[in-house]
Amino acid sequence: MLEELLIFTRGGLILWTCKELGNALKGSPIDTLIRSCLLEERSADASYDYEAPSAGAAYTLKWTFHNELNLVFVAVYQRILRLLYVDDLLAAVKREFAAIYDPRSVARAEEMRKLKQVTARGSGNTTIKKQGQLAGHKVSQRSSSDSGSGKDDADGNLVKANGMVNESRAPGGMVKTDESSDGGAFDVNKLQKLRSKGVKKTNTVVGKVPKAEPKKATKKNRVWDDSPSESQLDFTDPGDQREEGEGEVVAAVQGESMMDKEEELSSDSDDEVDEVRENTQPSSKKGWFTSVLQSISGNTVLEKSDLKPALKALKDRLMTKNVAEEIAEKLCESVAASLEGKSSDHSLESHLLFIRYPCNIIWLFLQTAMEEALLRILTPKRSIDILRDVHVAKDQGKPYVIVFVGVNGVGKSTNLAKVAYWLQQHELKVMMAACDTFRSGAVEQLRTHARRLQVSLITLEEFPKCADIREGYEKDPAIVAKEAIQEAARNHSDVVLVDTAGRMQDNEPLMRALSKLINLNQPDLVLFVGEALVGNDAVDQLTKFDQKLADLSMTPNARLIDGILLTKFDTIDDKVGAALSMVYISGSPVMFVGCGQSYADLKKLNVKSIVKTLLK
Amino acid sequence: MEHLLQHVEQWKGDLEKWVRQLPPEQLYTALVVLLLTVTFLLLGRLFKGTKSNTIVLAGLSGSGKTVLFYQLRDGSPHQGTVTSMEPNEDWFILHSESEKKNKIKPVRVVDVPGHPRLRPKLDEFLPQAAGIVFVVDALDFLPNCRAVAEYLYDILTKTNVVNKKIPVLILCNKTDKVTAHSKEFIRKQLEKEIDKLRTSRTAVSTADVTNEVTLGIAGEAFAFVQCHNKVSVAEASGIKGEITQLEQFIREHVKP
Repeated sequence: MLEELLIFTRGGLILWTCKELGNALKGSPIDTLIRSCLLEERSADASYDYEAPSAGAAYTLKWTFHNELNLVFVAVYQRILRLLYVDDLLAAVKREFAAIYDPRSVARAEEMRKLKQVTARGSGNTTIKKQGQLAGHKVSQRSSSDSGSGKDDADGNLVKANGMVNESRAPGGMVKTDESSDGGAFDVNKLQKLRSKGVKKTNTVVGKVPKAEPKKATKKNRVWDDSPSESQLDFTDPGDQREEGEGEVVAAVQGESMMDKEEELSSDSDDEVDEVRENTQPSSKKGWFTSVLQSISGNTVLEKSDLKPALKALKDRLMTKNVAEEIAEKLCESVAASLEGKSSDHSLESHLLFIRYPCNIIWLFLQTAMEEALLRILTPKRSIDILRDVHVAKDQGKPYVIVFVGVNGVGKSTNLAKVAYWLQQHELKVMMAACDTFRSGAVEQLRTHARRLQVSLITLEEFPKCADIREGYEKDPAIVAKEAIQEAARNHSDVVLVDTAGRMQDNEPLMRALSKLINLNQPDLVLFVGEALVGNDAVDQLTKFDQKLADLSMTPNARLIDGILLTKFDTIDDKVGAALSMVYISGSPVMFVGCGQSYADLKKLNVKSIVKTLLK
Repeated sequence: MEHLLQHVEQWKGDLEKWVRQLPPEQLYTALVVLLLTVTFLLLGRLFKGTKSNTIVLAGLSGSGKTVLFYQLRDGSPHQGTVTSMEPNEDWFILHSESEKKNKIKPVRVVDVPGHPRLRPKLDEFLPQAAGIVFVVDALDFLPNCRAVAEYLYDILTKTNVVNKKIPVLILCNKTDKVTAHSKEFIRKQLEKEIDKLRTSRTAVSTADVTNEVTLGIAGEAFAFVQCHNKVSVAEASGIKGEITQLEQFIREHVKP
């Protein structure tokens, strides 16, 4: 049983909704879908599962795009059901709606009617209790309310006519539709009769809808009746389970560390494109130039078959840049999903690009779409300003705790020292905790760093000062970390950097120990340290780490990986794909990039240059 | 073929003779007039391009920008909105002014998505902006106070905004709800947060290209009046359609 069928534009406006009155969606599945799936370039996935945090309702969402008109069609249903017709229904709705949709169209009534037919036919097998909301025209502020009783009868007839077993609309529902009264010309009774007959009548309904006087120099969209739907569906509700976007990419601090030096960008091509964008008028005003170009380049609609060879070439190119195979595949499919059906004469920009690069127009489109997608993925969705967070924690009087996790040999200890160096340059008091109790020489390594940087270090041996020694108990890194944090709070340190032992993602007991460390100490930042040399294993590492951290935690809100530290960046020349794989699979941003083996070799990720390198 | 060529030759000869016949001054004046018109056209285009009559709606995700956009354009938010994935932009006459008889110039309004991954889109529209409306959710303000302040700080320190002194209107949306905060409260909170941000950001940046500007006066607590561009605060309710203060701002900065 379908819970909801929604059509909205990419700009965010809901065009049509077929709601079950009284069965409002719990939580905000549509918003979560957009944020966690469509904006994360996972639009090629088959479906998305959503669980409302409080109410315990679980939904599955399926979607499809119409790229020419920039529309998204979403169907929501209960997760426990296995509805097989949803894909076909979405395709049918897409076809019908595309045929009658016009951004400036007047005949909304007709759209509504046709859509309802399609929905009724498509979901005729299931038991949809109530019809959707009727949206009529509000022509010129005069609204003659429709006969409520007339609707009742019609609905009753229709319900019986369709052979549905359920009862007719509740009176509450009737009141609602009364509010959405039309301009007197939209005859609901006729609508119901038409539905039951399944015959299209174009003349009567449409003809009676008077148009608003077209104003000079404006295109006025039709004003629909505004039925406040806040009680049922609050799409603008920012309530979200995931940690939400806090700020954006911000240039971090300056100093000796390369973190603080701005990278010189080669800004030639960027500037040109920006200028082009600045000087173009809004695309709705098409000039003579555009029309000439259109006539030259033709008006091809991009089909999947057209895109396939170009997609394969793009995927191979990404893979030569060391992007994991799975990720390249998913990305290409997602970009293709957003380009399918688009006509190639879309904007003035593309024409100007066409002049600059007179080559295959499909390849060009794909390139620009992929560039946008990559920029979107690599742009962090939460603030990576660590210094700000440290100051906030300082104001609250607690130390800011960072835990470094990762597999063996990626450079955790080295980069921990680099981060400590950087933080020290910003007059922050740093303390290190050596929770790598496994590897020979790990503690000594950190002790050397601590001595050189003049920071304090907490290790196993410090235990006699802090707590009782219990036989076999001190070897637990979680306890060492806890003691370190307490000590830091006592002597007013600002940051605590916790070093852990490297472990393979498949090693169950070690992952359990790590999970225990994180859950016991609740750090402010869990940094996954990954090397840029890694290939397809990056995907596996990150997924397994996240999964184990989620599974093996005792609390319902498990702490997952918050950020990525990419190491050994200087050893790869332009094979920078590991950054993309890691960011895509985990959704967390790259906070630091280690680009050398001395203390100052730590910098921020430069998104634009990475994207350029990936697509070169 | 040869006949054609001959004809073409003939016409060319005739044309040359006719041109030579003309007094040279006429020719030169004609050429000069042509050049002048072309230059004026180009200049006109350039000026039209740089003259900004765009209003940019920015703000965090969920603050109500798309609703406000459609209120301005159509007078109602239709059936509601979801998180925007792309910017909404359109040239139109404000809905409330559509009843006026005299011809009003249309305004271009751009609604930039608030999702952090789509923030770079704001930079595309800033060069053409005549005014920025920063929409703040007055209802859900305190939990997001830091994020709001960071975004606002970034906008106020962009070189475009500072150099062109683009006026900023901080619009507290959703004021129809009882528990919404007042604009004075929001203003004070934002000033405090930006003050803190100022110290933590400028303490570290000596050669930072993007954030060259220090907001306000060093040493004093930050206040919006210290900004070189005009920053004002107003209230609105997108759902209910109470957007008079917003429309006033738009009319002030985009000449009708």
